[in-house]
Amino acid sequence: MDLVRDVMDKKLLDRSDRELGRVDGLIMHVGPGSQPRITHILVGGITPWMRLSDVLARVAGKLARMWGPKRADPVRIPWSCVKTVGHDIKLDVLARETGAIDWEIWIARHIIGRIPGSGTEEAE
Amino acid sequence: MEINVELLIGRTVRDVDGEKVGRIEEFKVERGDKSCVLDSYLIGSSALIERLSAWTLVRPIARALSGRRFYSLYQVPWQDMDLGDPQHPRLRTAKRDLRHAK
Amino acid sequence: MKKILQVTLGIVTSVGGFLEIGSVTTAAQAGAAFGYQLLWAILLGTVCLIFLVEMSGRLSAVSKHTIVDAMRERFGFPFFFIVLVGMVLVTFLVLIAELGGVGLSLQLLTGIGFPRWAIPVSFLVWLLMWKGTFGLIETGASLLGLVTISFVVAAVRLHPDWSGVASGLAPTMPHIDKAHYGFIAVSIMGASISPYLMYFYSSGVIEDKWDESYIGVNRFIAASGMTFGGVLSMAVLVAAALALHPRGIQVNGFQQTALLMTTALPRWGFYLFAISMLVACFGAALEVSLAIAYFFAQGFGWKWGEDLEPAKDARFSLVYTIIILLAAVPLLFGIDPIKVTITSMALTAATLPLAITPFLFLMNDPIYMGKHRNGWLSNSVVAIIIAISFVLAVISIPLQIVGG
Repeated sequence: MDLVRDVMDKKLLDRSDRELGRVDGLIMHVGPGSQPRITHILVGGITPWMRLSDVLARVAGKLARMWGPKRADPVRIPWSCVKTVGHDIKLDVLARETGAIDWEIWIARHIIGRIPGSGTEEAE
Repeated sequence: MEINVELLIGRTVRDVDGEKVGRIEEFKVERGDKSCVLDSYLIGSSALIERLSAWTLVRPIARALSGRRFYSLYQVPWQDMDLGDPQHPRLRTAKRDLRHAK
Repeated sequence: MKKILQVTLGIVTSVGGFLEIGSVTTAAQAGAAFGYQLLWAILLGTVCLIFLVEMSGRLSAVSKHTIVDAMRERFGFPFFFIVLVGMVLVTFLVLIAELGGVGLSLQLLTGIGFPRWAIPVSFLVWLLMWKGTFGLIETGASLLGLVTISFVVAAVRLHPDWSGVASGLAPTMPHIDKAHYGFIAVSIMGASISPYLMYFYSSGVIEDKWDESYIGVNRFIAASGMTFGGVLSMAVLVAAALALHPRGIQVNGFQQTALLMTTALPRWGFYLFAISMLVACFGAALEVSLAIAYFFAQGFGWKWGEDLEPAKDARFSLVYTIIILLAAVPLLFGIDPIKVTITSMALTAATLPLAITPFLFLMNDPIYMGKHRNGWLSNSVVAIIIAISFVLAVISIPLQIVGG
């Protein structure tokens, strides 16, 4: 398997096939003399912006901490949660439990939900 | 030590003598039941083309244009890569000892 | 057989993309200034679009991923973000122009100035996206869009010289006003080959749940849909060539464009024109808003879908709500939609290479396309379109300055 071609930037689906974002980064554990291991998938936060420019990442981080869930760190999903790697990556977790859709939930509740006719958030 | 893989993509790699080898474009891994370990790195400009699956389009053009020099694709086993300074990856071997991947 | 009814996706894409304020204005300008001479530009734009739209559909039907999905996954976040910025900036201008076009149509019908229509029109567009489904928008815009056939009726009623029309389909150079000619040719191409059409169609394929079995029908739908739009665009040009060119009338705004209908159909022409433009621009506004929201949601990996209640795809809904709101603002201050559309077309032409070049790689990718990869013919066409887009990109801004 190739990380850049098969894993990076792929869509992540949870146990019920709900999308919870894309693979924005990967944590690799490197130790002296031991084979490097991929330990976590990173979703959101300043991670994608860091690939563009440090300045942009700092600005994005400042903005993210000012509203909504007020968090700028990426969500870390252990690699052990990965079920299959295909066109999309299926995880053995529920989206809500990971924290990856916190922004979606916050916006649904505090902005979209306040406008009439918006319907209901998904149940869980 | 924890390293962000996405920040390694495209980083220039130098060999043990400080000579420029190319850019990290791909990471070949082995998947276990719940694990994922790194096998080797693909370095060089041609690795990018491979990633973009453009061989069928680019190869005839590249062959016509510059011959050998275009095909600088190296496969480096994990043991030969020193990521002590992730911003400046170094090989533990010399460029001339590297294996061409294709 | 039921698959053929999906032709509504092709028609709505075409009406919203081909028959909107930009295409109608440039086609009318072309006819008024140069007679039949620029028909080839519309023909070229139509042919390019048929290929591009067919490929967009094929990519999505086979891989179940949209163009934007595939672009992010194959080229990475940094590339995606650069294209996002470029596309959103240009497409946002198009949205302003389309909302303005609806306003201008209502101004023609009611006499009330278009800035006063900015809020009601924007609200209506937003409401349709908020409460409507993709099927409703698709079918509604397609059926209502059929009123634009009145342009063809107008053109025919003016008794065109068909051999003159035929010769216009081959490219020729004019004797005078070369820069202006070049500028209109580029504008026609920029108005026809709008990248947002591809993103919309590709997302529409997923919204309508097509799969590999739709590949044959997709070819038919792309070809017939785009041909519909192309023929209508040509009808506008021909009508302008007959109604305005002999009288030396140049097209600078809606009033002159309306003349091509009223000359052909003295009794109904005025209302048909206003209603046709209203429907066409409204459909385009919906399509553009959706295209921008799709781009954000697909690229960042958010949940998306026009059929979902807004609270279930909150970020997607927030994007289109914000952009429609923002697009209304310049109109409130009376910015001329025609000027905005001319700028947006030149910028579209300038940014085309950015949108189309990734396509060449994606359509040959065995992981996405499987055995439905591009053959040598499709690849050659894409390569030619990319070459044309680079030429357009280089000459569009200078031409706007010299010949606009």
